[in-house]
Amino acid sequence: MEEKQLVRLAQEGSPAAFEELVTKYQPKVFSMALSFTRNREAADDLAQEVFLKAYLALPRFHGRSEFGTWLYRISVNHIKDYLRKKGRAKEVSLDDVPEISFSDRERTEKAQLERETEARRTLVQRFVQGLPEKYRVIVTLRDIQGLAYEDISRILRLSPGTVDSRLHRARRMLRTKLAPYLIAEGGANELSQG
Amino acid sequence: MNCRKAEKLLLRSIDGRLDGRDAALLAKHLEACPACRKAEAQYRSMFSLLKAGRDAAPLPRFWERLQPRLREETELVPLLFWERWSLRAIPVFLALVILIGGFHFFAPQAREMSQSATLLIENRDLFSETQALFEADKPETRTMMLLFASMDEKSPARRPTP
Repeated sequence: MEEKQLVRLAQEGSPAAFEELVTKYQPKVFSMALSFTRNREAADDLAQEVFLKAYLALPRFHGRSEFGTWLYRISVNHIKDYLRKKGRAKEVSLDDVPEISFSDRERTEKAQLERETEARRTLVQRFVQGLPEKYRVIVTLRDIQGLAYEDISRILRLSPGTVDSRLHRARRMLRTKLAPYLIAEGGANELSQG
Repeated sequence: MNCRKAEKLLLRSIDGRLDGRDAALLAKHLEACPACRKAEAQYRSMFSLLKAGRDAAPLPRFWERLQPRLREETELVPLLFWERWSLRAIPVFLALVILIGGFHFFAPQAREMSQSATLLIENRDLFSETQALFEADKPETRTMMLLFASMDEKSPARRPTP
């Protein structure tokens, strides 16, 4: 069934239609919440609340934008509110980052590599969370969630030019902070040096 | 091309949004600039780490957990609606009280209308009514005239003044 038809049926009160929409979008909404919170339980709670909000707001959805865009807008706003309430907007300083050292304690090269990657992933996520909100949102939508520029522009109600410049600035900030921990030219891992 | 411009093009290239001419310019710059080559490697590493956070499996039984919450919220909606509207109704109620109070306060003044205004409102012929009023006065006047006339007859004739 087409999405527009599903939305119409859900608006008319069909639980089956709404369930189908939830099944389709739940992984994306959960993943977005997780990118912001880094906590599976909190992300799950947020995803549930987003769908509750969407369900109650369905009568006010007139189909001027795609359902997905509308749902993402609800998600982003809800997650931003949650983070504001939780006071997570503080900058992450280098002192907050756990020390990562890969010593000889690692028995095998594979385990060490896995641990390195996981550590770097955690680090990147923590730095993303430390970005000012407007940059954090845009990096999450584009570089973690992989949304198209046009979709981000619609979700955040920003001009494509603003999305472009804000994203560029956010990426530069992130790289500057992460530079000592990222793989340098030739694939050498700077984390394991020193 | 300077490194700042190259970084902009580099990010566009990683995003897949760079046209052929700019791609050639960037490739030329990267060939000659080790700092930008390093930046490229760092960006690619950063993006792959960022993307790795995308594919997290959600917690199980999402819909089963959501369904009762939806039902609960739907039941609450009329209450919430009433709560929201009752708050909005307070100023409307106050305005109505003021309006009705004001009407009652000013209403007596409005009722004290002149006879002609009443007639106008009742859409009656002003002249015929006036005529009727005059006519209504006539018997009274006539009685008074008779009374005065009889009194004149009973009183002694006036003596001429010296």
